[in-house]
Amino acid sequence: MKSNRISILMLMLAAVLALPFSTRASSGGDGGIDVKKVIFHHLGDGYGWEVPFSHVYRIPLPVIVRAEDGNWFCFSSGKLTEVVVTEDEASGKKHEELVPVIHTAERDGKQYMFTLAPEESAHKDKVVQLFPLDAEQEKTVREQAAGNRALEAGDGQGLEGYDEIGGVFYREYKPVDISITKNVLALLIAAVLVTLMVMGLARYYGRKGYKAPRKGMGFFELLVSFIYYGVIKDTLHDKAKKFAPYLLTCFFFILTMNLLGLIVIFPGGANLTGNIAVTLVLATLTFIMTNVLGKKHYWKEMFWPDVPIWLKCPLPIMQVIEIFGIFTKPAALCVRLFANMMGGHMIVITLVMLIFIFAAYGAAAAGGSVVISVLFTIFMLALDVLVSFIQAYVFTMLSTMFIAMGQEDGHEGHEKEIKDGKVEEVAVPASVDI
Amino acid sequence: MELFTPDFGLVFWMFVAFIVLFFVLWKWGWPVIIKNMDSRADTIDKGVEYAKQAKEQLDNARAEAQKYVEEAQQRQAEILREAAKMKTQIVEEARREASEEAQKVMDAAKVSIDQSRKEAELQIRNEVSRFSLEIAEKMMRSKLSSDAAQKELVNKMLDEIEKN
Repeated sequence: MKSNRISILMLMLAAVLALPFSTRASSGGDGGIDVKKVIFHHLGDGYGWEVPFSHVYRIPLPVIVRAEDGNWFCFSSGKLTEVVVTEDEASGKKHEELVPVIHTAERDGKQYMFTLAPEESAHKDKVVQLFPLDAEQEKTVREQAAGNRALEAGDGQGLEGYDEIGGVFYREYKPVDISITKNVLALLIAAVLVTLMVMGLARYYGRKGYKAPRKGMGFFELLVSFIYYGVIKDTLHDKAKKFAPYLLTCFFFILTMNLLGLIVIFPGGANLTGNIAVTLVLATLTFIMTNVLGKKHYWKEMFWPDVPIWLKCPLPIMQVIEIFGIFTKPAALCVRLFANMMGGHMIVITLVMLIFIFAAYGAAAAGGSVVISVLFTIFMLALDVLVSFIQAYVFTMLSTMFIAMGQEDGHEGHEKEIKDGKVEEVAVPASVDI
Repeated sequence: MELFTPDFGLVFWMFVAFIVLFFVLWKWGWPVIIKNMDSRADTIDKGVEYAKQAKEQLDNARAEAQKYVEEAQQRQAEILREAAKMKTQIVEEARREASEEAQKVMDAAKVSIDQSRKEAELQIRNEVSRFSLEIAEKMMRSKLSSDAAQKELVNKMLDEIEKN
């Protein structure tokens, strides 16, 4: 059995190596797939939610935008795209493609045009408002665009502020966009899930009193007590109750978002915590919690730390470092979570894409890469489950420590050093990208 | 790069969602859970403490019971020993009394036997003397038809009696 398997592998390897180099050129061209585009599409946000087994159909989501003149518009994202079916005359195969269209809304006798910005625009794939140009403007814009194209040899940015759609030039305006995109919906789903879990447990206590919950609720309670007693109470002691709601909400929200991101189909699949906007908000909230609720001692340590006088008096070296530190800590929080989660997603997608890259080299290569890619993908996803938990835990733990630093009373100066040491010690393995 | 520029819409919704979530859970969720977990932990601690005490008490009670049992056994043995002693004593006493009584009875019997024998002897003596007298009378009547012989015999007899 074993030697059989090895020989099959050797055959596959030989088949891959024996491929003529010329076939490589065919990948990435038309007919092939643009790997980079697929990866970034999966990592990014979107106005609709993909459904399984279809490249063109999406679950439409509401688009909410504020037009240039201050009017708010809300319409389905389905109106921004259209499925075009083309039939290949030679093979008779039908080919479906999703193409952006201009959605026209009318209000008070005025026409408002919205569309997804084309690839050349600075707001690529975002909703933009379009304004038609009069003949004179059109002429100058067209000339400028032609000049631009000549300079940049065809590709590159189009004319800034103007879009060419179907041969017609429009002035584009990026509206204030608070659409319920895929990520926003996933965010809301995660929030609802967390609420259901927490309220479920709270209600369970109301119903059953001191009886310990079992099964799912029991596991949830285990996590709560793990975070509350193991992290929050150990660090914040008597102030634990005050900050526990924020930290626990953080932990479970992040954990739910992380895990939802690993589910491929509808309720999941959004790369939420791998989106810098989400982690930025979380880190900002920790920053606010630390600094707004910081005690006198915290600020004293900042502006008049306990160091030799020459380090702080004529030149405020320590002060600069400390103030810099206020911002770097949450920034590290933000980037750590973002990079870890996005990295995980990116590796998984890349592994899957390997199948399609190798498919161009023939059946043997495709078969081999399917086996290897799927095995590695499963391994990576399993690892991502672990990383999801670890990152939620690390975020909560570091937030707790930052908040705890702001809550010190100053009578225990030596204790701070120990805690600082602890922060360092924990932050190092956490920032190692897994 | 698109990935590294936070999107305003998402920041807005994330902020709103988090604040709402935080508010709801802060108001109705976490405090209830934490309070319950704390109080349950306390209850369990107390329960363990109570169980420990109960076990101690039980152990004490068991030891005490053991002590009582041992004491009772000792008492029992003592009582048994005493009873045995008493038994032998009683038996001894009874035996002694019985033998004394028997002695008494025997003594009384002896006395009465002696008396009866004496009486019997006396009676026999009387009988014998009466018979002998009768015999003698009969013999005399036949033999001593003379007075002289009669006299001689009487004397002889009397002598014999005197000798006796």
